[in-house]
Amino acid sequence: MKRRLTSALILMMLAASLSACSSNNNPAAGNNGNTGNTGNTANDTEASGPVTYPIQTDEKLSYWGEINGNLISVAATHDEIPFFQDWQKQTGVPLKFTAPPTGQVKEALNVMLASGDLPDMIEYNFLGDFPGGPEKAINDGYILKLNDLIDKHAPNLKKYLQDHPDIDKMVKTDSGSYYAFPFIRGDEFLRVFQGPIIRKDWLDELGLPVPETIDDWTKTLTAFKEKKGAAAPFSVVSKPRFFNESGNGAFLGAFGVTRGFYQEDGVIKFGPAESGFKEYLKLFRQWYADGLLDKNIATSDSKALDGNMASGATGASVGNAGGGIGKWQPLVEGNDPKAVLVAAPYPVLNKGETPKFGQKSQAYASEGTVAITTSAKDPVLAVEMLDYGYSEEGHLFFNFGTEGVSYNMEDGYPKYTDLLLKNPDNLAPAQAISKYARGSYNGPFVQDQRYAEQFFALQTQRDAVGIWKNTDADKYNLPPITPTPEESSEYATIMNDINTLVDEMTLKIILGQEPLEQYESYVDKMKSLKLDRAIEIQKAALDRYNAR
Amino acid sequence: MAKTQTGAGQRALAPARTTNRFLRDFRINKYLYLMMIPVIAYYFIFHYAPMYGALIAFKEYSPMKGILGSDWVGLKHFHDFFNSYYFWRILKNTLVISFYSLIFEFPAPIILALLINEIRSKSFKRVAQTITYMPYFISLVVICGIITDFTNADGVINGLFTFFGYDGQAMLQKPELFRPIYILSEIWQRIGWESIIYIAALMSIDVEQYEAARMDGASRIKQMFYITLPGILPTISIMLILRMGNLLNVGFEKIILLYNPITYETADVISSFVYRKGLLEFGWSYSSAVGLFNSVINLFLLITANYVSRKVNKNSLW
Repeated sequence: MKRRLTSALILMMLAASLSACSSNNNPAAGNNGNTGNTGNTANDTEASGPVTYPIQTDEKLSYWGEINGNLISVAATHDEIPFFQDWQKQTGVPLKFTAPPTGQVKEALNVMLASGDLPDMIEYNFLGDFPGGPEKAINDGYILKLNDLIDKHAPNLKKYLQDHPDIDKMVKTDSGSYYAFPFIRGDEFLRVFQGPIIRKDWLDELGLPVPETIDDWTKTLTAFKEKKGAAAPFSVVSKPRFFNESGNGAFLGAFGVTRGFYQEDGVIKFGPAESGFKEYLKLFRQWYADGLLDKNIATSDSKALDGNMASGATGASVGNAGGGIGKWQPLVEGNDPKAVLVAAPYPVLNKGETPKFGQKSQAYASEGTVAITTSAKDPVLAVEMLDYGYSEEGHLFFNFGTEGVSYNMEDGYPKYTDLLLKNPDNLAPAQAISKYARGSYNGPFVQDQRYAEQFFALQTQRDAVGIWKNTDADKYNLPPITPTPEESSEYATIMNDINTLVDEMTLKIILGQEPLEQYESYVDKMKSLKLDRAIEIQKAALDRYNAR
Repeated sequence: MAKTQTGAGQRALAPARTTNRFLRDFRINKYLYLMMIPVIAYYFIFHYAPMYGALIAFKEYSPMKGILGSDWVGLKHFHDFFNSYYFWRILKNTLVISFYSLIFEFPAPIILALLINEIRSKSFKRVAQTITYMPYFISLVVICGIITDFTNADGVINGLFTFFGYDGQAMLQKPELFRPIYILSEIWQRIGWESIIYIAALMSIDVEQYEAARMDGASRIKQMFYITLPGILPTISIMLILRMGNLLNVGFEKIILLYNPITYETADVISSFVYRKGLLEFGWSYSSAVGLFNSVINLFLLITANYVSRKVNKNSLW
């Protein structure tokens, strides 16, 4: 009797261990099956008539997406954010949210993809942050090609794209695949939001004008250091890369280069390999040696910069109108009531010139776009749900939230209520707006200029856009091009090595650990890491883009 | 150590009777055998079964195709890694940081244990122990935050230097300072915790030996060198062997939290490289090839260390 019991136990344990390890295989196999199925359903379904919201459905869809940075201290999950609750009410589709940990979106997505256990919808930057790009994501079987689905079930998005062929060109791949519900900056005004920021009260006190040329900047920063006692006259965020905002061409633009690829007279160039970059290194090296730059500049993160701004150690930086001026103005005022932050134009070498680069986003921003996965139970429902953002009522909802709660219509102008602008719980407008609407950040909708007119509460913020937009960035920046899946893995390997090299070189030369003369040898190293091949790939992708 | 245990109390048996003996042993100790099953199952499920996942190092892995369904690429990923521009730098950094920690960090808890052993006051002993092992329980993220703050241009440590007339620079911006900062903070973090095992070993040393030594007029230093140290030597060598097996597993979390492009030159190690390649660039196959390479070297080091230890002081894991 006893013996039988023991052997039964042993058998059970063996069986348990076996099944545990065979279940390891299941997700992948299961998904293979799914891929086929969903492909079929997508083709089988007939075009439906216009959807009336809210949709009547019992199905619950799963949605994976990051919680906006503004809301980190406000809400831990999507369910605590009124916007996401109202979104479900408006569309009638119940959603189950999963949020990756803030700052680890890429890692979290990676783990999720490797597990093979996908939600119905994924909010992610497939163009910029998915190695291999959207075409690869479709080919590898993670997300659906949406052409048919959009054609039949997303009349609002379809109409928008038909009315805006230039944007239509941007949101698809070379082979014409739609891969996500895009985030579109609906107006020119929304595309510029970042640039140099400086303490106006210090300038006035010292009798200096707002700096325009590089020489002005040197003079101004020196004055900040000597007369205002600023310990770190110029400081910037260097996470994840040194002088992160220089990617848009701040200060680099004066020397005619940017940190990435750009086009000039039909030729694609890589900024750090052009001679202008050496001039930039020379300038910053001098500034660092003279104590005009933050001593911790290689490691400073946004927290450190906030602290320096607030304490008056820093008098100039590069940042956003909302997240920069808007965030710092109350901080600097807290320490010095007279303090005023204003936008400074992108610097140039000689007065009167137009800088070659500055921040200017494309109308299609690939962040915050929503793709439908191959494991989606009901892709049609997901498409109908997402299409809401491009409808007229969805447009108002995404930008301004719920009428009567977060905005009121006044003579056809959606005006944010005091709940958002003068929040009773003392939330900053940026936080309160993010709680009730998505106007201030990205998502599957078309952004409305009227949001910015109210979001930029300060006159200095509204002026900033006008000051920063004076660049030639449009002419030189590359459109959202997509290398083919084969090219892109090669491209990623090359650029990963080159970017590491550029980051290292930039810091070493600026911080004075290597002589400026080393620059040439770094350029040679870039060449030996196959920079030319990377340029070739970019060029081919650009040609395909232009031929779209 | 292990050898003497298994050899003790058993008669040598002829091979023919081995099966018979096993069955009898099984009958007598069946519940002991039963208790072993969960342990075996644990190792099988969590340590052996996932090993087939190492296959992806030889494939172009795509999760949607599954491990078995992905295409074979042979040694391509190993080839890519060995030919990569940063291969030698990463390997060198890994080895250097590992050996530094072996030389500087490994002896630290032993020294601490010896020191604590010499303390006479019981309460002071307890306080000293508690204080030294406290940092072990602080989250790594917090530790790294503390390190970054302390080593800033205007941090505490530079404040001291400035006081003595040196001009401080952010220390984490200097490649040559990365390793000392890493190792020193590592010692601070783990010294107390790791000394516990040596303190436990010290407890088992026969007190009579000390009494006898004192009779013979041995000083405290002499007692330490001739009784205490030999007493814990077996523990030290086993710890050393175990450590050799992990030599190349430099903790990537701490490196990643502390490094930045300017210190890549001295800080970038195999595991942080694997992290960047695998998790940030979705290069599963490539990073598992690198990880496999790492494990093979570790295995080799472990076997060598064990062999040397067996030859030198007759003390080994197997």
